[in-house]
Amino acid sequence: MSPRILGILFFFGVVLFLSGFQLPSLPGVPSEVGKGLGIATKAGSKAVVAAREITDSEEYYVGRAVAARILGKYPLYQNQAVTLYVNQVGQSVARKSSRPSTYRGYHFAVLDTSEPNAFACPGGIILITRGLLQQCQNEDELAAVLAHEVAHVANKDGINSISKARWTEVLTATGTEAARQFGGGVAANLVNLFEGAIDDVFKTIVVNGYSRTAEANADRGAVSILSRAGYNPAALVSLLSKMSAKGGSGGIFRTHPPTSERLAQVKSQVREAPASPAEQTRTKRFQQVKF
Amino acid sequence: MFKKNPSIKEDEVRRPGELSPKGTCLLALFLILGLAAAGTGIAETLKVERPNMQLYQAPNFASPVLLPVPVGAEVTVLSRSGDWLQVSYQGKTGYMHQTAFPQTPPPAVGLPGLLTGGPVRETRSDEVALAGKGFTPEVEAAYRQKNPGLNYAQVDLIESFRVDDRQLAAFIKEGGLTP
Repeated sequence: MSPRILGILFFFGVVLFLSGFQLPSLPGVPSEVGKGLGIATKAGSKAVVAAREITDSEEYYVGRAVAARILGKYPLYQNQAVTLYVNQVGQSVARKSSRPSTYRGYHFAVLDTSEPNAFACPGGIILITRGLLQQCQNEDELAAVLAHEVAHVANKDGINSISKARWTEVLTATGTEAARQFGGGVAANLVNLFEGAIDDVFKTIVVNGYSRTAEANADRGAVSILSRAGYNPAALVSLLSKMSAKGGSGGIFRTHPPTSERLAQVKSQVREAPASPAEQTRTKRFQQVKF
Repeated sequence: MFKKNPSIKEDEVRRPGELSPKGTCLLALFLILGLAAAGTGIAETLKVERPNMQLYQAPNFASPVLLPVPVGAEVTVLSRSGDWLQVSYQGKTGYMHQTAFPQTPPPAVGLPGLLTGGPVRETRSDEVALAGKGFTPEVEAAYRQKNPGLNYAQVDLIESFRVDDRQLAAFIKEGGLTP
């Protein structure tokens, strides 16, 4: 081989090296050797992988699955005018939250059931029932419900209810070395873990309810969102008073923590004022929507 | 015995497959230019393929939105960092998440990648590929296949509903709310 050819080959080699090209695995090289090398080179990054939080996109896929499950329980109310109105109020408050934007944004929808309830799926799908819409007396009360749910999304209360042990297992399963070693079994395991994560979130937001602290924080968040958005934060007080009078019936009307306790806390954060002319305009447009 | 052709000089006699000095220079030039282009990402233009995309001030979803970027809009990529692309659109420079461009190839290995081994190359097995990334669209697909009774169609319907920006601005103004 002439020195010139050698020079060209060397040049190619350098170029391939610099561009991050990786040679395909060579036949005849025992795969165990490659596996071992892979594990060795990745050992340093394993700690980083293991420590990572759930990402915004992962939260989004969990939220979609939770929403799909809730929609299996309650039918969607497909009324264009109501959906538009709820989304307009919802977007007006979501943009003033501590998390104004998520992976695929906030979306609001109405469930066709008389049971008064509202759910905040991780990632920003917020569902409110017709029953709860009918309990609201004006736009500001509706805004208060939606602001409370947006605060749950912003505080990541739903996604954080995935058990720590399960998330650790997810990270172990997604570790590349584990994937290489166990091959096909990992994917099925990952789907099971995804299913389990959805169970965790579903149990929290639909069955058992959030913790006392999470509810108190979401109420505080709602008061701040309402003020920033230009809604009357006292609407949360009137809404909670109504709930307190009716007693618990699950969901947002849950007894734990007692609504009276929430009411007392919110009252201390809000200065009640008479309805402004703008609030009256909002009430008027609220009354025009047939829930 | 044969006579040498006097018009051909000694060093111009080439073996088959060997390049002329001029050819070598050209090849080297092309390769260097190619590398330079890949390294700096000269004027790469991408088309937005997903709805509801926005140009953010900083590379995170919580940062202020500079302006919405509709489907079909073309943006100029200035740089890439993880899942985020710094782009220029309508005279504004901001960040867009890579999901706006489903065909976006993964960023090339930089120098730090060279030192640490670069991104992990996945095997051809789909299962291994999806195992490396946590909860992905592929995991969702497998989950849906396992639970065919779930109402994902309605979830898609909910997500497709969008309040027009101008409509929302009018709604906020009419209600005396804070823009």
